[in-house]
Amino acid sequence: MFTLDFISGLIGFILTLLIFSYLINDNPLFRMAVYLFIGAASGYAAAVVWQYLLAPQVSVILHSEDLGEWLLAAIPLILGVSLLSKLSPKISSLGSVAMALFVGVGAATALGGAVLGTLIPQVGAAIGAVDVQADSGDAFARFVEGGVMLAGTALTLAYFQFSAGRAPDGTPKRNIVFEGIAGIGRLFIAITFGVLFAGVYMAALTAMIERLNAMVDFIRPWIGF
Amino acid sequence: MRVTAILTTALAMAVAFIVLLGFFFPVPALLELRAILTNWAMTIGGMAVFIGVLNLVAVHIGKIQKRQKGSELGVILVFSLLSVFTYGVLFGVEDPLMQMTMNAVIAPVEAALMALLVVTLTYTGIRLLRWRRDLAAILFLAVVVLFLAAMAPKPFDNGILDGLIVNVAGTIAQGGARGLLIGVALGALLTGLRVMFGIDRPYGGD
Repeated sequence: MFTLDFISGLIGFILTLLIFSYLINDNPLFRMAVYLFIGAASGYAAAVVWQYLLAPQVSVILHSEDLGEWLLAAIPLILGVSLLSKLSPKISSLGSVAMALFVGVGAATALGGAVLGTLIPQVGAAIGAVDVQADSGDAFARFVEGGVMLAGTALTLAYFQFSAGRAPDGTPKRNIVFEGIAGIGRLFIAITFGVLFAGVYMAALTAMIERLNAMVDFIRPWIGF
Repeated sequence: MRVTAILTTALAMAVAFIVLLGFFFPVPALLELRAILTNWAMTIGGMAVFIGVLNLVAVHIGKIQKRQKGSELGVILVFSLLSVFTYGVLFGVEDPLMQMTMNAVIAPVEAALMALLVVTLTYTGIRLLRWRRDLAAILFLAVVVLFLAAMAPKPFDNGILDGLIVNVAGTIAQGGARGLLIGVALGALLTGLRVMFGIDRPYGGD
């Protein structure tokens, strides 16, 4: 009767009810479930970090006899431990070396990822969308579709161009042509966010159906239908 | 500028250049150095997660000791965090009880919180027209309603109209999303360059 699956289902059922109680009002039961979730998720994340990232390094430090391998494992761990100094303002500068390394790698990775992973492929796709020779299908339809997409891309980017001159009364004012272009870009952004909003809404609806389904499946054996 | 600040700035810049060069010039030595530095950064990031969790526990224990309002809930948080972490370290995250924690607590609560979004998004959508009634807001809501109507299952065949709505809105949204993505990438590029050239020093190199 009390198998691991049953206990798991029961806990999931109760926690889902507690979370859904938020629909009545923000209440202690909802907050209790959220606190339990944050605790369990943080503990789980810390355990995953320990098992897959830190424990192998500690194992190398304890067992390796190769100095190079030992140093490669020890240096990042020592730097990582130095981050503890950030908890105290008096000795916080001790953790700056680790932070500098972390930020340097992060900045270069983000930069490389932005150029190679987003900018070049997206610019290429924007150009490719209006390449009528690339497809054997209806060239005109493809050109119109690609043109709309290219216009959407350019106008959306134009909306975020905030350089402005000065009006006679001293207030910042954009060039009237750019103002018009940015206005159309704003409409493209509204449609884009509308589609994204609808997508998130459908994902949330799917999650709600899944939860309600799981709850019904759990109580079905007791109410007999 | 203090010596420590100069050293940390030089270190961040050097590391960033090495890692970036590894992206564009796949020389074996450079790739190996990039892999070592990336691994080190991952370990430091892992330690940062640990310190974040430690800080979370310390803050809640402090609240419990001072008997602040709502600190009873902190007991639940600290107890669940420490028990899950200790068990995970001792028996591994693949242990059936750890998997049960994921299936019974983490996944259901995540899904239930996601499900709550249905209500909050509906409410926000309705309230939007109260806050602003310009063309962009009306267009936004019209697209949401039309797109949801087109995607919803229906008792009658409405394939042509649904297909038209999804295609037209999808094409325009694809262009807009591409513009936003390129904008975000340009922002990341600029921020990365500022860090690489030592203009921004978020690591404390004041």
